[in-house]
Amino acid sequence: MNTHTKVHGKHGDFAIEAKGLVKRFKTGRSWVEVLKGVDFDARHGDLTMVMGPSGSGKSTLIANLSGLLKPEEGRVDILDVDDLWTYGSGRIDKFRLDHCGFIFQGFNLFPSLTALQQVMTVLKYQGLSSADAKKRATTALEEVGLGHRLHQRPNALSGGEKQRVAIARALAKDPQILFADEPTSALDGENGQVVIRLLRRAATEHGAAVICVTHDPRLEAWADRVIHIEDGRILDDQRRTPDPDAQLASH
Amino acid sequence: MSLALSTLLYEWRRYMAAVVALAFSGLLVLAQVGMFMGIGKAFTAQIDRARADIMILSPGATALFNGGPSGVPRRIMPVVYQHPEVLAVADLDGSGGRWQNIVKDKEPGGDPAAPGAKKMEFVNVTTIDAMPGAVTVPVDYSDDLVEALRQPYAVAVDQTALGRLGVKLGDQASYNGKTVRVAAVTQGYPNMMQATVVMSRDTLRMLGEANTGERVGPLMVQIKDPARAPIVVAQLNSISNGQFKAWTRQDLAEANEGAMMKESFIAIMLGFSLFLGVLIGVAITWQTLRGAIMANIKEFASLRALGVAMGSLRWIVLELSFWVGIAGVLAAFVLTWGVSLLAAGSGLTMSFPPMMVMMVSLMLIVIALLSGLLSLGVLKNSQPADLLR
Repeated sequence: MNTHTKVHGKHGDFAIEAKGLVKRFKTGRSWVEVLKGVDFDARHGDLTMVMGPSGSGKSTLIANLSGLLKPEEGRVDILDVDDLWTYGSGRIDKFRLDHCGFIFQGFNLFPSLTALQQVMTVLKYQGLSSADAKKRATTALEEVGLGHRLHQRPNALSGGEKQRVAIARALAKDPQILFADEPTSALDGENGQVVIRLLRRAATEHGAAVICVTHDPRLEAWADRVIHIEDGRILDDQRRTPDPDAQLASH
Repeated sequence: MSLALSTLLYEWRRYMAAVVALAFSGLLVLAQVGMFMGIGKAFTAQIDRARADIMILSPGATALFNGGPSGVPRRIMPVVYQHPEVLAVADLDGSGGRWQNIVKDKEPGGDPAAPGAKKMEFVNVTTIDAMPGAVTVPVDYSDDLVEALRQPYAVAVDQTALGRLGVKLGDQASYNGKTVRVAAVTQGYPNMMQATVVMSRDTLRMLGEANTGERVGPLMVQIKDPARAPIVVAQLNSISNGQFKAWTRQDLAEANEGAMMKESFIAIMLGFSLFLGVLIGVAITWQTLRGAIMANIKEFASLRALGVAMGSLRWIVLELSFWVGIAGVLAAFVLTWGVSLLAAGSGLTMSFPPMMVMMVSLMLIVIALLSGLLSLGVLKNSQPADLLR
């Protein structure tokens, strides 16, 4: 058991601490090093923004942190887990099920399920009864402002609403860590603002460590911390005071 | 409702090819089962609709005719009569021979294939005792029909055999070189193999073909209380000494149907269809399922990201293929029902024993599950890391 990262940390306690992450991909005959020895940490209650141009390795970084993609070198301590990558894939899945939320650029909602069912599906895999799952899913959807759209399928929802369903799906689990990959880039300014505010709230009110990967500099306004990554290395790491009332102009 | 079921219902177009493939695999097998069973029913029609409560055949025989020697020694008749509950015993006499229609002269140069062309067929002959209520008269023969057959040289032909024999009601024809007259037409005795001609025992005798030897055909037995048939059968069999075997009507009909399925050519045809059906069903269902799952692979990947285990996704796929199988079974029933209506319209009765229907349904569900198992490999593509682009 490590002592520096915690499951139920207070605001400011470490949730993730990664050291010396190296990830290589094979392209053609040569190997490309996407992460070149990255050290990274994230704290409970922080909205940590990872910014960088495409190809900078920012998506690979969160894939390494979240147990989706194994790094060649380095270790990840996350919550109460000491070196996540010593776990087998089954235990990593279980860890993600218990503790992690994910939001992607694409919304990845099942076309056949209503908003409520999308959220309930994951909760049921967590072992909740149907009734409990329904209660929690309803609360989560109300929290993202979709209380009136519970029974709509994705094709009846706008892009912004779909992303909010995806957020509700991630938040309903009450995760200690929330990963978001370009959550606003498929959305217009207004919907983008709704989404980033929800992420901000997940950090502030739920105390989750929110790690948001984006190349959109306007989102910085909501962040507690901005990390710039380029060419597989961290360029700088700044703390800042978030402005919850910031405005995101239309794209 | 589960994710699998709602996906199938909502995106049914995607799964249609699989459902249709299963339905046709099912139809391929069911229609043949139905056809053979229907033919079997035609063979057993005589048994099913006989007035006799009990039939006595030589040991090992399971059919009145078409099944090798079925008759018993003539001296068995008085033995059976000795049972106190037996009311009537009569042997079912039969024969067979060459049938030719008699064509009236036509103008020269007429189309030889036109109706009225010369026909020559080998026919099967069965007899009745031409008295209303006789034990050899089938229950659905009207008194008028029996009366018509009582006339010398009168024969009855089934509706479905008229064309094959080239005759119509009232026509004369030649049977084994002697002139007979089609005095009646029966309904519901189709025979795919060989046309059957019914005549009275007296007509057969006049034709010189009646059985007068040591052996007679199968015995038709009527008893006082038909409900006691199984008991009487058991008692008769206990005194048979291996010389005959008594059957209740129902048991014989079932044995007859079962024996029919064991006919080697039927087994080969059914086996081959089964093989083809499974092959085609699995191939199409597998590919369809693969495609449909690939279409939702990002959604599956997002579930993986949220920590849903691969095993759970596999269950979703298997459940999905199970429901595809159920839909396939239902579609197969609808198709088969349509085909059986068509067949009935052209005079072929199909018959679907519940056991066979259940086995075919099971086969379709197994095909679907097998396809599901084969499609599991697609889930390897559900890499959540791919969503982080």
